[in-house]
Amino acid sequence: MDIRISGVTKIFEGDIVALDGVYLSVGAGEFVYLVGTTGSGKTTLLRVISREVLPTKGQVLVGEFDLRRIRYNDLAYYRRDLGIVFQDFRLLPHLTVFENVAFILEAMGVPPKEVRDRSGFILERVGMWHRRFLRPPQLSGGEQQRVAIARAIVNAPAILLADEPTGNLDPRTSDEIVQLLTSINASGTTVIMATHNQYLVDAYRHRVVEVHRGRIIRDEPQGRYMADVDL
Amino acid sequence: MSTFRYLMRDTFRLLFRHWGMSLLTLFSISAVFFLLGASSLLSLNARHLLDNVEGQLTVQAYLKAGTDLAAARDKVQSFGNIVQITSVTPDEALERLKARLGNRAEVVTLLGDNPLPPTLEIRVERASHVPPLARRLVAMAEVDDVVYAGGLAEKLSRLSSFVGRLSMAILVIAIVAAVMVLFNTVRMAVYSRRDEIHVMLQVGATQTYVALPFVLQGMLLGMAGAALAALTLLKGYASAVDVLASTMPFLQFLRDGALLARLGVVLVGAGISLGWIASWLAVVRFIRAAMKPL
Ligand SMILES: Nc1ncnc2c1ncn2[C@@H]1O[C@H](COP(=O)(O)OP(=O)(O)OP(=O)(O)O)[C@@H](O)[C@H]1O
Ligand SMILES: [Mg+2]
Repeated sequence: MDIRISGVTKIFEGDIVALDGVYLSVGAGEFVYLVGTTGSGKTTLLRVISREVLPTKGQVLVGEFDLRRIRYNDLAYYRRDLGIVFQDFRLLPHLTVFENVAFILEAMGVPPKEVRDRSGFILERVGMWHRRFLRPPQLSGGEQQRVAIARAIVNAPAILLADEPTGNLDPRTSDEIVQLLTSINASGTTVIMATHNQYLVDAYRHRVVEVHRGRIIRDEPQGRYMADVDL
Repeated sequence: MSTFRYLMRDTFRLLFRHWGMSLLTLFSISAVFFLLGASSLLSLNARHLLDNVEGQLTVQAYLKAGTDLAAARDKVQSFGNIVQITSVTPDEALERLKARLGNRAEVVTLLGDNPLPPTLEIRVERASHVPPLARRLVAMAEVDDVVYAGGLAEKLSRLSSFVGRLSMAILVIAIVAAVMVLFNTVRMAVYSRRDEIHVMLQVGATQTYVALPFVLQGMLLGMAGAALAALTLLKGYASAVDVLASTMPFLQFLRDGALLARLGVVLVGAGISLGWIASWLAVVRFIRAAMKPL
């Protein structure tokens, strides 16, 4: 699914301009880093795509969905094509690791046996199978991050939105996470990852989109965290 | 089909995770429905009593001792509006009394000589025919006294309409109370799982899928509460009527099994519907709000 964002402005209550005339197109299967200083509008941009935020102005088209006009029921089906890794994980603390992943598939009406198989497979893939009976509070930050990623990709989404999936992780775990996202991307999923991690962006080269004060000020294929551009 | 299994599982999880809350709700609901059912029974009985009295559109004329029954009967026959006249001799009246008293018939012997007067029982077509007939009967020389149910029917109909209004008021209060209790319980369940609801909606669960376990929770609690109330009520009523009927044999209590069963069904149906309405109200606004984009 292609993402086409045109002229999107988001003004929050209190005249806070989070996005200011953003144009961005992301083709199916791309890997995009969203970079920019704190408060520049990265999370807001991702939430516009997941339709948690409705733009004040502008148009957002994802596949055949026009997010301005989408109805509640279609929204549910649209979101099944998305995987979201939240900046703050949002795992459910009273469910086990396994259940945290499985309930996504259940909500989509997948039969129990398939739920078990697919959840197990994904937990293997993110290396959390051996932790499947634990609950999120019993996990380390990096482990929670992996479960959050497992939950985001278990429904084989067309688009994966990852908001700082390596925040607070040590360099080695961060490397593993990006490698994981890269392999997910290699299987055809579009990945948009917001990050502050200069090392990762420079080491694993992909398209870089830089946001500054709600505007896109740089968009480079195979870019670096800080290109030669000086602000 | 899988969805149905998940739905059932989630509903029972809701019921059992907060089992104390569920029990409390169950008992509150049955108390409310018990009250509702009891007031319905009261008003049904009042109506039943009234129907019985109205069904007997009969005027009894007690004649002076020694009056010729056949002659008096012919005279009355000419009054018009009369459906039927039965003459009852003192002996027949005594037999009837004995039959009414059943196993306590021997008290009749305490009366000594038969004190019962010869009687004409006159059936008319409608209640409105009763008072004029009674007036003409009183005017007759042969007639000692006239007894008719008109006054009683009137009193009973006033009682019945009072009981009807009372049970209306109870109905309204019961509905409000039941909805509030169920609403509160379901809303607490919703609130305790709000994070889950948010995440589910964010990852593509439909509103219906998210709402249904809560709605079913409310419906099941409403149904179980009402069923519990209906069972206790109808069982209690059966024994209460047995006791009352033996101490007050002159009162006719409602014993129509089919009607009572229907009352039970109506109560349970009301429990289910109120559960549905209350839980829908409790969950739908929350989901709408959670779905709303910023
Ligand atoms: N719900 C909201 N209500 C009001 N203002 C908001 C809301 N969400 C974000 N903002 C504002 O919009 C601006 C952009 O926020 P956003 O979260 O998109 O930044 P960010 O680039 O993700 O920052 P960070 O790197 O720290 O995560 C900020 O000024 C923020 O205060
Ligand atoms: Mg952010």
